[in-house]
Amino acid sequence: MNASRLSGAGLGLKRELMSQLQAAPSSVIDFFEVAPENWIGVGGARAKQFAWFAERYPIVAHGLSLSLGGPDALDEVLLQRIKGFLDQHRIPLYTEHLAYCSAGGHLYDLLPIPATEEAVKHVAARIRRTQDILERRIAVENASCYVASPVSDMSEVDFIRAVLQEADCDLHLDVNNIYVNSVNFGFDPFEFLRALPGERTVYIHTAGHLRAAPDLIIDNHGDSVIDPVWELLDEAYRLFGVAPTLLERDLNIPPLAELVPEVERIAALQLKYVAATSLRRHA
Amino acid sequence: MSSFQQYQAEFTAHIRDPKAAARPAGVPARRMKVYTEIVFNNMEATLSACFPVARKVLGVRRWTRLVRAFFAQHRCATPWFRQIPEEFLRWLEPAPDAASSYLYSLAHYEWVELALTLSDAPVPPHDPDGDLLAGVPLLSPALMLLRYDWPVQRISPRFKPLQPLAEPVHLLVFRDAGDQVRFVEINQVSARLLGQLQAGGISGAAALKVVADDKLLHPEPAAILQYGAALLADLRRQGAIIGVRCD
Repeated sequence: MNASRLSGAGLGLKRELMSQLQAAPSSVIDFFEVAPENWIGVGGARAKQFAWFAERYPIVAHGLSLSLGGPDALDEVLLQRIKGFLDQHRIPLYTEHLAYCSAGGHLYDLLPIPATEEAVKHVAARIRRTQDILERRIAVENASCYVASPVSDMSEVDFIRAVLQEADCDLHLDVNNIYVNSVNFGFDPFEFLRALPGERTVYIHTAGHLRAAPDLIIDNHGDSVIDPVWELLDEAYRLFGVAPTLLERDLNIPPLAELVPEVERIAALQLKYVAATSLRRHA
Repeated sequence: MSSFQQYQAEFTAHIRDPKAAARPAGVPARRMKVYTEIVFNNMEATLSACFPVARKVLGVRRWTRLVRAFFAQHRCATPWFRQIPEEFLRWLEPAPDAASSYLYSLAHYEWVELALTLSDAPVPPHDPDGDLLAGVPLLSPALMLLRYDWPVQRISPRFKPLQPLAEPVHLLVFRDAGDQVRFVEINQVSARLLGQLQAGGISGAAALKVVADDKLLHPEPAAILQYGAALLADLRRQGAIIGVRCD
């Protein structure tokens, strides 16, 4: 079991890829990420297949159903199940979205939290409670969205800063989500990146998306990563240092051989900054 | 309720039922539509994956209307994506006095495969080679004994039954040692026997005796005792019985 150390470049563990990954393990992939909601309480062949990966690789749990920004009571039963899952597979990191997915019942998709002072307090309290129950720090991810809430009274980046500070949790930085929102709402993604609390970054996501119109990107994780997003990742490493980074691919999943070069590109970028850092240290 | 939560309530009400609930003030229609479409399509895709036959039998238009109604009316409590089909079934379940239709039975039959594929029911301690007559036979923990008033296993776009069956169909569905879900149509005697074993704590011989004592099931009870041993052995060979309980 080598799950205690999380570093390098990873890939989202999709069922479409599992057999290929088992038949020909890639030396480039340092870790995998799963949605715990897809594996908790699952038996049979799928459980055995998951165990194969969990025994060989560090796993990151990236949750979908906690609804940190939602109005329904925090699902503490779900949290206890997640805690058991993290412990069972010695998962070093659990992250969730700065979003909500339920309101009087689940909608099973990520919706934007209006950026208000009240919302900051609400979300931060739920993150603190989550960290208490899980007995560990969690990281919260900046989410992509398509609608700016008219009731918001602060910018998205100020909202993220305020929530992370008030909750005292880590940042799960998604550079693709910054780019998606920069197009959907017309702002400078680099300025946004620089304004984030980079010192809290413990984990990074990158992904491709669907350009539906000049001013609208649908964040479907269904294509390869575009150059402006690679540039954002480069800048994030330069500003905040290297953190374990994952390639997300959830739709139009190609053969593994087409995804591996993207994971390699993450690793190469990381090497550039790790080498630079160690050079500075020895200077 | 805080004002941001009031907004969330309006936002999600519109996603659930765009025709009945207006979108929140100040939200552009084109952007709101991204959410109403993505969230509904997600739900529809999850249900289509579990209920492919129901979808085909209804046709895409009626199926989409049905999923729309479910999404608008039902509030899903489960955080587990795999249980969305179960929420749909709960919503679909007809009232006891409702006019008989095969849709619910068909959907239930389709859902069973998903439920047993993913079941994580623990396997109790057992002896795979134990004596099935003297010992207590243990059924696969991922197993369902089902009875339908409709010929669910034969329904298709070309076969839509108008009347329920005169005699219900009994199905044994279970996950075998190779993690494959198997569907077996069984007769009433086997169903009764498996029902005894499912209730648990009864030896194979005692279960056969109960079945043989039911005069309504079989004209010659002695025959049941005779071929019962072979029946139990066959269920073990298929993987429905995994052995004999040892505790």
